[in-house]
Amino acid sequence: MTQTTLPPVEKTQPVSSPRGSISDRSRAERRLGWMLAGPAFLVMLLVTAYPILQAVYESLFSYRLTDPNNRSFVGLGNYWVILSDPLWWQSLGVTVLITVITVAVELVLGFALALVMAKALSSIRPVVRAAILIPYAVITVVSAFAWQFAFDIDTGFVNSWFAWLPGVSADTDWFGDFGTSLVVVCAAEIWKTTPFISLLLLAGLAQVPEVLQEAAKVDGATWWQRMRKVTIPNMKAAIMVALLFRSLDAFRVFDSIFIMTGGANNTESVSFLAYRQTIARLEIGLGSAVSVLLFLCVVLIAFGFIKGFKVDLAQARGDR
Amino acid sequence: MSSRERTWWIVGGILIVIYALFPIAWIVSLSFKSAADIANGQFLPTTWSTENYSFILTGGASDLFLPALRNSFGICLIATAISCLLAMFAAYAIARLDFPGKTLILSTALAVAIFPVISIVTPLFNVWRQIGLYDTWPGLIIPYLSLTLPISIWTMSAFFREIPWEMEQAAQVDGATTWQAFRKVIVPLAAPGVFTTAIIAFFIAWNDFVYGISLTSTSAARPVPAALGLFSGASQFEDPTGGISAAAVIVTIPVVVLVLLFQRRIVAGLTNGAVKG
Amino acid sequence: MSIGRQVTGAGGHRLPRSPLRRSRRVLGGGAAALVLASTLAACGGGGDGGSQTLTWYINPDSGGQAEIAARCTEAAGGAYTITTAVLPRQAAGQREQLVRRLAANDASIDIMSLDPIFVPEFAEAGFLAEVPEDLADQFTENVVPASVESSTWDDRLAAVPFWANTQLLWYRKSVAEAAGLDMSQPVTWDQLITAAQSQGVLIGAQGLRAESLTVWLNALIESAGGSIIEEQAEAPEDIQLGFESEPAARAAEVMRAVADSGAVSPAFSTENEDASATGFEGENAGFMVNWPFVWPRALAAVEGGTLDQSVPDDYGWTIYPRVNEDDPAAPPFGGINLGIGALSPNVDLAFEAVQCITSEENQAYYFTTNGNPASNLAVYDDPEVIEVFPQAPVIRESLELAASRPLTAYYNEVTGGIQRVYHPPASVDPGSTGAEAQELIGSILAGEQLL
Repeated sequence: MTQTTLPPVEKTQPVSSPRGSISDRSRAERRLGWMLAGPAFLVMLLVTAYPILQAVYESLFSYRLTDPNNRSFVGLGNYWVILSDPLWWQSLGVTVLITVITVAVELVLGFALALVMAKALSSIRPVVRAAILIPYAVITVVSAFAWQFAFDIDTGFVNSWFAWLPGVSADTDWFGDFGTSLVVVCAAEIWKTTPFISLLLLAGLAQVPEVLQEAAKVDGATWWQRMRKVTIPNMKAAIMVALLFRSLDAFRVFDSIFIMTGGANNTESVSFLAYRQTIARLEIGLGSAVSVLLFLCVVLIAFGFIKGFKVDLAQARGDR
Repeated sequence: MSSRERTWWIVGGILIVIYALFPIAWIVSLSFKSAADIANGQFLPTTWSTENYSFILTGGASDLFLPALRNSFGICLIATAISCLLAMFAAYAIARLDFPGKTLILSTALAVAIFPVISIVTPLFNVWRQIGLYDTWPGLIIPYLSLTLPISIWTMSAFFREIPWEMEQAAQVDGATTWQAFRKVIVPLAAPGVFTTAIIAFFIAWNDFVYGISLTSTSAARPVPAALGLFSGASQFEDPTGGISAAAVIVTIPVVVLVLLFQRRIVAGLTNGAVKG
Repeated sequence: MSIGRQVTGAGGHRLPRSPLRRSRRVLGGGAAALVLASTLAACGGGGDGGSQTLTWYINPDSGGQAEIAARCTEAAGGAYTITTAVLPRQAAGQREQLVRRLAANDASIDIMSLDPIFVPEFAEAGFLAEVPEDLADQFTENVVPASVESSTWDDRLAAVPFWANTQLLWYRKSVAEAAGLDMSQPVTWDQLITAAQSQGVLIGAQGLRAESLTVWLNALIESAGGSIIEEQAEAPEDIQLGFESEPAARAAEVMRAVADSGAVSPAFSTENEDASATGFEGENAGFMVNWPFVWPRALAAVEGGTLDQSVPDDYGWTIYPRVNEDDPAAPPFGGINLGIGALSPNVDLAFEAVQCITSEENQAYYFTTNGNPASNLAVYDDPEVIEVFPQAPVIRESLELAASRPLTAYYNEVTGGIQRVYHPPASVDPGSTGAEAQELIGSILAGEQLL
């Protein structure tokens, strides 16, 4: 998928107009641009920036919805309560663990899927492509229920099918402890989101110049050498974008945990913690503070990716 | 490609299809198990029963499920339409015009897309209950825009960039009016991009769970994913596994149909938006 | 397309609501409610052709409450129409939905089916209309004591007892006989464990991280003579907790012993009431503590052809097991009390409807068709009830012994803390778990820790 069109700047700038008309024209264009894009921009700010500012404000109060008379200003007190609570660090740890496991597995699996799709014969390609889109399009809650019921000791088939595996028997209670619960949660997440990664990687694969591949082949490079020296370096941008999007997405994991474990056996994620403080306990102050911290974590990850790994979105867009 | 290699790629393709469809097949199979059969420990039902479907469509859970289905469709379609409309203007400006706010808008969209939903649900809940938007359609449509609008802007501006806009001028040179040029030349070129964007935005809205459970509390606005958690078995202590499975199958049908009909476009839209923007 | 509030009964009343509410508070009582209703009627707007619509938020059941709503609507002869709206299945979820709506000042909630544990919090927050004095006596006459107790807050009736639930000890007659247990005498948990181990059968109890775990722990502590809350207090941080007491340690011992007995399901830490019931219908069944729904459940399975008649024939039932040989058991208490929304524009009609809903006849109907036992003791003498529920006399006896879970406006914090510390039951350490719970719940109540 190479970019064929010219950047818009060159198209819209007339070559030989008097100076004054350029500035008039560009001013009009600027105004038109904002008039067209402004509403979307405003709506985006309104639905996110405003609530998060509100959350920052609320996080400074001790405020329980069922006890509005006792609302009081506590400054950064809520943050102190959260940061000194092992529960926060444990949720954060679980969230990071889930993020790392799912993203790592998805990257490898997604790459394999992308390779197969790239090579798949044109006769079966539509079938494979439609199939792979289905996990992407299925509602997360539905996927969570499907995986939960499959592993459930009463309704599931996993125990009877995989009893030959060491550690699995008819009596294996997958949701009974931390490790096995996490395995199922991660499996469901991986199943659901690998297709997205693999499609991004597939697009990246298409950007690798065929000439280089051929040249390497002529030089006698093995498949693995070509993969390492030619394919992967040329896909670096696509890989990084896929990693960034999926990491941020995985970090917000909520639906699967809510459905499958309800946070039992220490499987609570940061999003789930925030949900329980606000929506379940109605502790608006504490919950807002958790939300703000979660937001900061996400910003930090995004920033880390963009600065640390030099993810250049412009480059990834193919504008090099 | 040697024929051995070819076989291997076909095997790989089949494996992918199994990977993608197996959990779906499982929930379909589960939805056809009767209450007594649900714990049979097997993949397939012993006898195929439609009692779960009658339970959610005409039976005890229909009061829960049918309004939720209507809410889900209505809310998601409206949110999709609004975000596509807004994104269309924005994407046109980004692809076609030269103005300094472009990068700002694209990066704002990116920032909103990575925003943790749970962080805004708390303040939204608090504001909504004060201004009376709690448990209403607009109360969900507005937050859904935060999910659908950013991806719509990215995807659509990627599509619009590939439109050969100079054809419009060419048509005008050939004697068409501005409006004719727009309608006959640009609209057909832009329509597929808008349509694809709409499908992707719809998927995202359809998938929402956090807003659904936090900002609603009755069948006035409750969408299907949130309603699934409310099903009950024969009594409050009995598990509604079968009903949930049947409802899960029903809400999966629309997305599967969309995927089957428009798979090529969806793939283009997803990769365009993210990789090329 | 219908955007907006479809459930709201009387949308037209939204504006004048708050001043009226204030005036009602000043006047208090049923007379005021009457004044309120007539004032509102004078305002015009609501109701179609004189019939007011009352919205009843119900917990999920097998259709019994919807049927009662229909019956009462008919009996009212046009005075009111009751419509039902369903709440989530889990108690915590029901509370979340209701509290969020009530906090959103929603006037559309007329009647709500409340788990008794949430009555104090709702009453304290001013969400519940006070029960008029003249009706209070009628609502509490000949009613299960725990139902009355759990409906009362600040010495006033805050909710109306509807149905009362309790757990029984269910046993397989064949197993008890083989183990030589005399089930006509009170049995202890220790005896059950020994019997189950010797017979190679399972004990069913609810070990999952949910309200059921608190139900179990509370019953154990109360049976051992203790209480989760030893002393109530106005400020949450002053509430005296009883997790470090001798009875609480004994309760932890029993919980751990059951979990470690080898006589529980491998999925014990995720076992809920339904899973216990499934296990008790199975081959290794021995004993189980569970609510009465297991009886109609088994009979339905027989009818559906998936269970042999010999299985329910083997079912035996008696009072909840004891913790100590000499202390009487304090079985779990549950059920539903009905609360009236304080913001409802139809408070007096709602109380009229509640009188109908909780009538002896409707309670008997609910008991026999949905398996939810009545709070009115007279119902237990109904021959029809005894025919459908041979357990009725035992249920009545159990209800009279039953102990409520702690009545506090901070119940959610207490139960959440318990579920964190006492789960999984196999990790409970009688020596330290109590202190851990005391510490955790104490600091949660003081706002020093997250939950």
